[in-house]
Amino acid sequence: MVDNKQQWKAWLYLSPAIVLLLVFTVWPIFNTLRMAFMEGYGNMAAIGGATFEFGVDNFLKVIEYKKFLQCLQNTAILCVATVPISTILALLIAVALNSIKPLQKTLQTIFFLPYVTNSIAIGMVFAAMFNIVGLKQGAGVADTWGIINNVIQFFGGEPINWINAGSSYVANMVVMIIYIVWNALPFKILILLGGLQSINKQYYDAAKVDGTRRGRVLTKITIPLLSPMLAYVIITGFIGGFKEYSSIIGIFGEIMGPADDAGRLNTMVGFVYDALERDRQGRASAAALILFAIILVVTLINNKVIKKRVHY
Amino acid sequence: MSNINIMQERNIQKISAGQKAVRVLSKTGTYIFLLIMALIVLFPFYWMIISSLKTLAEYRQAVPTFWPRQVMFGNYVEAFTTAKLGDLFMNTLYVGIVSTLLSLVITVLSAFAFARLEFKGKETLFGALLATMMIPGELFTITNYITINQLNWMHTFTALIVPFLVSVFYIYLLRQNFMQIPNELYLAAKVDGTSDLKYLWKVMIPLALPTLISITILKMMGAWNSYIWPKLVANDDAHQMITNGLRNAFTDTSGQANYPVQMAAVAIVSAPLFLVFLCLRKYIMSGVSRGGIKG
Amino acid sequence: MKVVLQNLTKIFPSRDKKANKEVVAVNDFTFEIPDGQLVGLLGPSGCGKSTTLYMISGLQKPTSGKIFFGDDDVTELSTENRGIGLVFQNYALYPHMTVKQNILFPLQNLKGKDKLSKQEMLDRAFEAAKLVQIDELMDRKPSELSGGQQQRVAIARALVKMPRVLLLDEPLSNLDARLRLQTREEIRRIQKETGITTVFVTHDQEEAMSISDIIVVMKLGVVQQIGKPQAVYDDPQNLFVAKFLGTPPINVLEGKVSDGKVYIGEQVVMEVDGVEDQDVYIGIRPEGIEPHPQGVLECRLNNVEIMGRDASVVSTHDAALTPVVRAIISSDITVDTTAETVRFNIKPHKFFLFSKETEQRLYYEVKKHG
Repeated sequence: MVDNKQQWKAWLYLSPAIVLLLVFTVWPIFNTLRMAFMEGYGNMAAIGGATFEFGVDNFLKVIEYKKFLQCLQNTAILCVATVPISTILALLIAVALNSIKPLQKTLQTIFFLPYVTNSIAIGMVFAAMFNIVGLKQGAGVADTWGIINNVIQFFGGEPINWINAGSSYVANMVVMIIYIVWNALPFKILILLGGLQSINKQYYDAAKVDGTRRGRVLTKITIPLLSPMLAYVIITGFIGGFKEYSSIIGIFGEIMGPADDAGRLNTMVGFVYDALERDRQGRASAAALILFAIILVVTLINNKVIKKRVHY
Repeated sequence: MSNINIMQERNIQKISAGQKAVRVLSKTGTYIFLLIMALIVLFPFYWMIISSLKTLAEYRQAVPTFWPRQVMFGNYVEAFTTAKLGDLFMNTLYVGIVSTLLSLVITVLSAFAFARLEFKGKETLFGALLATMMIPGELFTITNYITINQLNWMHTFTALIVPFLVSVFYIYLLRQNFMQIPNELYLAAKVDGTSDLKYLWKVMIPLALPTLISITILKMMGAWNSYIWPKLVANDDAHQMITNGLRNAFTDTSGQANYPVQMAAVAIVSAPLFLVFLCLRKYIMSGVSRGGIKG
Repeated sequence: MKVVLQNLTKIFPSRDKKANKEVVAVNDFTFEIPDGQLVGLLGPSGCGKSTTLYMISGLQKPTSGKIFFGDDDVTELSTENRGIGLVFQNYALYPHMTVKQNILFPLQNLKGKDKLSKQEMLDRAFEAAKLVQIDELMDRKPSELSGGQQQRVAIARALVKMPRVLLLDEPLSNLDARLRLQTREEIRRIQKETGITTVFVTHDQEEAMSISDIIVVMKLGVVQQIGKPQAVYDDPQNLFVAKFLGTPPINVLEGKVSDGKVYIGEQVVMEVDGVEDQDVYIGIRPEGIEPHPQGVLECRLNNVEIMGRDASVVSTHDAALTPVVRAIISSDITVDTTAETVRFNIKPHKFFLFSKETEQRLYYEVKKHG
């Protein structure tokens, strides 16, 4: 009796969550799969009574599509560049933070600040810092070169066209990498510092008794003991990197590129949304599934590599 | 004999003096590194604020100024009216508060069922829920966009609130928290004839308050920072969210844009986040470190 | 290598900033540890024994005082240059390294002229492993070892670089009772075989007594007594030392000395010379009293516990500060367990007087005893 009552109550309490999950999570999984395998599927067209054949055409179209390859390339470059840079920087900062006493809390708070920002809003600030106002094409003069170029000039360098019309792909990417690393640091520092603080202090005393040099302590003791946390930030970093989208909107706006080359910096997620808005749900689904597959494979590879290295 | 001793002593002193120097140097190096990194992290915020207070002419000077010569609070007024920030604030607050409240109720009820009640298929269901966390949200968005269309919810607040009410991650977090509360408390309450809901309200919720606060903050921050979904389903004036409004009001990011006003708008949009962070730092940082990945 | 501690003092600043009270962890400790001896630092928690060990190791710096290894003043020398081996209470084995890697680790840190070839390192590691009998386990991870095995690895790691001094922090506290007995014999054997001056810290008096050449009893940062275990046991200098050493613990009773007679309540239990009239604490070792029909000390009999070889007569007395008065006797001696009371005779060399005011030992000569 009591058992039955509990069953009934449990399902009652769970019902709002289950209904919502069925509609907005479970159904989309099946429907996305369905749409991906219906050639040229579009929702408006479907409502209009059009029928679609089953097939892998959507995937083929996506893969052949030059724009998609550009998106894939952009995403991959951003991932491969930002994850190692931000992880190493975060590790250095976390280790440094962990070794000091005065100012530790204050600095920790400062390093966390970028986390509580709106990535589009602060992207606009970065855009302002890199922007050149009043650039005369070819003449090499401008009203103001922007603060970053001012700094470069202060150290005797030549100003660079970072994001304006006529800027190079490499310059655009450098800006994106700087911004994404800046944005990714706080989470990684928080996790790594938490990990460092949970390492038993006796390991360091033991290393000291044995006269271990600082560099060796870092590579032989700290990093191995921190490896589960490092693995975690690397995997989440890669997943985040493959879903990069709004930070590019923050800096370049919805044209996803400099004024004279819209879409140059578009990403996988951006590609999905573009297709979605153009009523190409079949193609969007196929692209989303490819994205999912890539994330899955990268995570599995990471896990494999990590299993080899994190083992205690 | 004594000579040898003196020699040894001198050597030892040399070693320890050298070590002290190395230690002081490395400490100094550590601080210099951290302070430089902190400056890099803080610089965009500094640049945002001083730019927002400059006149357009001063901003466009060839030689940058690091403190505005003439403080222009007018930029803030202009930003507020240009971007209709007032309306955007209200829209975002409305969506944020309603979705947080509903989400809390749903999360608490589900977490309670998973933590305290016995029912058939509990483990399977919970495992299935956790499995959905692996799938990137973009996969859901495509179908949800169609669903919203078919439900005729386009350009409504409902479309902004309902699809994101259930977060498996929050249910998981709260369930873990509830499970730490000893079962004897629940049984004792049953003996005293306390109803489930009263027990939930009087015992479990107060004990799980830190987690609930973390969820609330992350949920509100989510509403504040949401961009992609609102852009798809409710990008009209009446329902626009703050980030979309900000982006739409200042489409130029390069070239001749009026940066002081733009920076003022960015500062206004960023300010509430900073205020919340400074007041509730502990909850935010613990919530994030337990697995709250941005987005 | 002898180790000399000279007026060693360690003061910790107060954690509570408002109270501004300093904690004197170790107070003016002077002691010379002879070469090749095994010394046990013994005391209850908070007595400063671990702090002393960490100061010898160099992980903590003394507030004042000096430490010498042989004739070298090492007070200002940092840990790594002292040439010590330290075994931590929780062993601090690196969890991500195998036993072999753990033992090799200190050797790989050596540089300059001390640097060893790969083969030399391996030889030394295996030698150390053999000494503690873990050479079969070299490729395991610490998590795959039992507590006792981990302990041995920790000792091997400390010994492998041939330290001048070996320090052990509560080496047995994480082992179960049976392993503890076995391991302490092991430590004794290893210490004898290597001849390294060894200092270990423990709160367990039995452990300290059983393997130390010398014990140092500490309380609240102050050294109470130093000596050979049996000597300290037989001749405690104050009430604390008397109470701290010995299981079952010493019986303590209130009494007074008046006119050369020692009173417990109204009973005269002994006549002594050389003690002024005063209130005293009386300590009697459990093996120092035995039932006798005409005994001088009358107690209420509770029960008799027979434990094979020995029997324990448990009784109470109004003047006793310990909950019971216990006598350990041979189990051959029969005691009438139905009787209300039991009378004891006292062996004078197990009978100690302490000033009630200072709790210091009062030395006396026996005139007459029961």
